[in-house]
Amino acid sequence: MFARASIAKKVLRLLHGLLAALALLLLPLLGLRGYWLDVLTRVNLFLLLTLSLDIYSGTTLYLNLGIPFIAGSAAYTLALLNVYQKVPLEVAIAPAVGVAILLSFLIFLPSLRVRGIYFSIMSLLLPIIAAGIVTSQPFSLYLGGEGGLSYPALLYSYARTLPARERLPFLQLSYYYISAVAAVVAYALTYKLAYSDLGFAMRAIGQDEVLAEGTGIDTFRVKVVSFLVSSALASVAGALYAAMRPPLTVDILIPANTLVPPLTAVVVGGMGSIVGPAIANYLLMLIYELLWDVVGRWRTVIYMVILIAMVIAKPQGVIFSLYLKARSYVTNKIRAPRT
Amino acid sequence: MEELKYILVFGLLHSSTYLAFSLGFSLILGVAKIPNLAYGVLYVLSGYVAYELMMSVGLPFYVAACLAVALTGVASLLVGEATIRPALKNPVGVFITTMSVAYILEEYFKMSMGLKPVTLPLLPGTVSVAGIPVSNQWILVVSVSLAMTLALVLFLRRTDTGMAIRAVAESWEESLRLSINPLRVLRVTLLLTGLYAGMTGVLLAPLKALTPSAGWAPLFAAFAIVILGGVGSIVGTAIASVIYGLVEQAVTFTLGSGLARVVPLLLIVVVLLLRPHGIMGRGE
Repeated sequence: MFARASIAKKVLRLLHGLLAALALLLLPLLGLRGYWLDVLTRVNLFLLLTLSLDIYSGTTLYLNLGIPFIAGSAAYTLALLNVYQKVPLEVAIAPAVGVAILLSFLIFLPSLRVRGIYFSIMSLLLPIIAAGIVTSQPFSLYLGGEGGLSYPALLYSYARTLPARERLPFLQLSYYYISAVAAVVAYALTYKLAYSDLGFAMRAIGQDEVLAEGTGIDTFRVKVVSFLVSSALASVAGALYAAMRPPLTVDILIPANTLVPPLTAVVVGGMGSIVGPAIANYLLMLIYELLWDVVGRWRTVIYMVILIAMVIAKPQGVIFSLYLKARSYVTNKIRAPRT
Repeated sequence: MEELKYILVFGLLHSSTYLAFSLGFSLILGVAKIPNLAYGVLYVLSGYVAYELMMSVGLPFYVAACLAVALTGVASLLVGEATIRPALKNPVGVFITTMSVAYILEEYFKMSMGLKPVTLPLLPGTVSVAGIPVSNQWILVVSVSLAMTLALVLFLRRTDTGMAIRAVAESWEESLRLSINPLRVLRVTLLLTGLYAGMTGVLLAPLKALTPSAGWAPLFAAFAIVILGGVGSIVGTAIASVIYGLVEQAVTFTLGSGLARVVPLLLIVVVLLLRPHGIMGRGE
């Protein structure tokens, strides 16, 4: 369906993913340790949420703000299975993801009838409702409430056999690699999907759903598939996060924590482009972390001002347009000797 | 029986404040076609400004309240000019920009006012409503809220500016043809909604504790009420406010205040599944 890409472009498409994956996997060998490794682990998991938002909402323009609900369902299923049924965390990840995907259809179903702002607001209400339930009596007695559910973290039973000094570095490093592999796989999957025929159909729905239906696209099927991929990504992120960072608190359901970073990455990165949001996901984290050293407690304020400026300056997304410019510059350089 | 009376009285009292607050939100949602996520923080801003004017400057309540409301209106206009107007063509972008404003102000309040809840002094005295003692503050709140609602209805129906607002809410392009300037209408709406948020803020500050993040709960309530009632329908918003207030109070008295935040929202999700465009809303 797309115009044939030049060889140079094809190579670049492959290359940017490979280079990013390589960088992610090599960073610890280059001496990245401690705090920054933890930060990067978290941001790797956030990449899953960003891609989850971008692959469904960025392309079909059904703005699904219920991401925290999906991630939270997976996290709570995992924790509950472990605490009450004594299922090991490693095993519980699969059922947790399954349950979260099933529950996420609570968000999807209304989208068959409701479009636009109504759907977005409804999907936003679900995590808020869930957060309210988790923190109020009598449910909070079982779900841990504000204090959270505690359980031993992923791989902790193995780490306990190590000498005390090696435990924390071991856990940090293994969590980092788990998150990095998840991030690379998620990126490859969504990139492939977004630039396939199915991705084309998703964008067609975003532009004009009735017209898309008219051209023979099975809009329902396309929406279901991309929503499934999207909620699977969010569930995996939620389950992994819960497994790595006990105790599990209501924080995972609060939109400010698990919706705002992916949403800003998607908008600043350029909706539906996968590449832009992924870059923005890492770049924004870097800005946010570095701001602490520069402006101290004013960091949130300054960060938000930067965000506003970026959105107003380039509503289509700053990062993706920069990426396209850089790519055409490189391809022109490669092609230049031939002409 | 006694409990039912409490639920009815306090439910209706709360409904009136939800109504005034939601109408402002509904207005900006209708005109600009985007949810102004900074609307909740304006409510907090006005409360804090009134508090500072009373405690630090020593102004009497009514003067401080009027100044705070006026300032909130101007703040709403400035916020809109800076973050809503430049991103109008980009609804998702407006989500980010208005939310950023909300966080900026929240962060500023945290640094300047601290996390400790703050309340304004109550009006002294109580009156008995159907045998239940109700603070005079509530009476003030209800009468001002209802007056604000009535004023808005008259304003939208009877004045040229009000009709221009309705025209723009109906169709941005059509209103251009009627030689209405939508951007000017947007400015008027921003100012007006700022006044409504500010008014609710100063009136409720003596009854509900004010914290830097206190704006989110009323914002989500307004969200839910406007969606339930149908965007742009004042009657629908009124019905939805009453439903919301009554359900909230009923749950507070029976299941506890924790679930009272949740059940009304849950109800709204269910209603929306059955009627996707709200009680009085029209389909597209």
